Amino acid sequence: MSILDWIVLLGTLIFIVAYGVWKTRGSKNIEGYLLGDKSMKWWTIGLSIMATQASAITFLSTPGQAYHDGMRFVQFYFGLPLAMVVVSATFVPIFHKLKVFTAYEYLETRFDLKTRMFGALLFLIQRGLAAGITIYAPSIVLTSLLGWNLTFTIIFIGVLVIIYTVSGGTKAVSQTQKHQMAVMMGGIIFAGIIVLTYLPDNVDFLDTLRVAGKMGKLNVVTFDFDVNDRYNIWSGLIGGFFLAMAYFGTDQSQVQRYLTGKSVTESRFGLLFNGMVKVPLQFIILFIGVLVFLFYQFNPPPIFFNEPLRKEVYETEYAPSLKELEAAHHDVFMKKRLKIHELVDAFDTGDEQKIAALSAEVNGLEDEMKKLEDEAVTVIQKAKPEAETEDRDYVFLSFVMKHMPVGVVGLLLAVIFSAAMSSTSGELNALGSTTTIDFYKRNFAKEGSEKKYLVASKVFTLIWGLLAIAFAAFASLLENLIQAVNILGSLFYGTILGLFVVAFYIPRVKGTAVFIAALIAEAFVVYCFFFTEIAYLNFNIIGSVLVVVISLFIQLISGNEKKAVSS
Amino acid sequence: MTDNHEQPDRPPILGRWRNIYLVVMGNLAFLIFLFYLITVWFS
Repeated sequence: MSILDWIVLLGTLIFIVAYGVWKTRGSKNIEGYLLGDKSMKWWTIGLSIMATQASAITFLSTPGQAYHDGMRFVQFYFGLPLAMVVVSATFVPIFHKLKVFTAYEYLETRFDLKTRMFGALLFLIQRGLAAGITIYAPSIVLTSLLGWNLTFTIIFIGVLVIIYTVSGGTKAVSQTQKHQMAVMMGGIIFAGIIVLTYLPDNVDFLDTLRVAGKMGKLNVVTFDFDVNDRYNIWSGLIGGFFLAMAYFGTDQSQVQRYLTGKSVTESRFGLLFNGMVKVPLQFIILFIGVLVFLFYQFNPPPIFFNEPLRKEVYETEYAPSLKELEAAHHDVFMKKRLKIHELVDAFDTGDEQKIAALSAEVNGLEDEMKKLEDEAVTVIQKAKPEAETEDRDYVFLSFVMKHMPVGVVGLLLAVIFSAAMSSTSGELNALGSTTTIDFYKRNFAKEGSEKKYLVASKVFTLIWGLLAIAFAAFASLLENLIQAVNILGSLFYGTILGLFVVAFYIPRVKGTAVFIAALIAEAFVVYCFFFTEIAYLNFNIIGSVLVVVISLFIQLISGNEKKAVSS
Repeated sequence: MTDNHEQPDRPPILGRWRNIYLVVMGNLAFLIFLFYLITVWFS
């Protein structure tokens, strides 16, 4: 990395953190610290919501997802705008009216203490682990590609976040997220424009897109109904809706963002802004992955994107095998490139038969390249059994490091760091709030002073920050980072959403019935995860539907028993 | 009434919240239609 890249990277990060700390110094009460004095405007809330959701994983994994699997991942977000409407219409006015600090406070108002504790506990487990992954995921990719020390990178991200999240609370989180979001949006659009300029001059842009289409990368909407398929329009609309409902309606890291709204209107507009912008933003990030894919149709791609690991294998006895595979991979690429140029020429002539034949040939050669890539992974696994060989998360950053101009590399690394910090700060802020309000204040210090709660909030936020760093430092890489976080969320979200759905919409169900139902539903979801092949997005539906149905059943039974006893 | 003495049923634009929700859902429908066209056109 050049000096200019370092200046851009560190300058951006330090400016955002310093400005956030300076701008939000001196919160004197708990409402100021945890809810930002309820003074936020809708655009701050909207950007803050988006920044909390957009972790570094979003920017590392998503282009790689498009590179390998095409655009269909965008369907995962189709349920989000619908959830924004429901949360705005139902959840926001009630949370504002009850003046809650956390979503789980409402569960005690509606049911009882044990249900509130259960909801809060599920959140703390799930979000506490996720906070560790949020720091760990970008750190492992950055360190393996840039040669940095992993522990140092984790501590660097963690400490920077802790500084402003602990000192300024929710206001600092929102202020910094606004700037971080600006860096993320600006950086990623700038990257997209640069990748566009790298496409060959002698090929029409529309024709390159047609090449991507013929190779199955512009499969934005797929209508095939398959419950085990993670990304199609049905799982996106239904599963994505339930996941987004759970995340935005019941996850304190998001609820806290819109509770800072000056009014119901500001909170609602913040959520709806996210509902309007999120799908196009994901489309853009995925499209950059497709552009990178197109770049590598005209320029030789590596057989394995994690270059440092590839170089480590060169030092082993498996080097000849890997080099042989690389040579074969390059040969097939050259043949494929020739066919792609022929395909582009065929587009101009409009000969559909020729286009179909050439498309089949290109896809056949692409499959050959994929086979060689799989063989290379097998060789790498033999040479380095301990190494992580999931390559998807390295595609974009590897491209950035190799092909982006000086300065832009620093900017894009700032994008990844900003994303890591913005989501982690939202998580730590929410973890600290829930621990303070739902556990400490509710159970151990009911009559404390404002100062006592303020200090407790800061201490708990600090402890969660240190735990996240510790978890990140000892975590091992999971199959695919973005999916790991989503799977983790889906294990608990269904049950939590079920609790809130019953709370909001089924007044006849009481605390004990919903509590038992939630325990059974959670046990069943965990069973499904370990012993069935059901796609993880469906856990949200299964969990929430089970809570609703079982709680209604238990309420009915217990109601009948009471009637029998009284009669 | 909310804590800020504001009528939550009266947004600053489009008269009613229902109309704003329709805009959000219409935007989603438009995007899905656009994505469908992209899928079909380039496949």
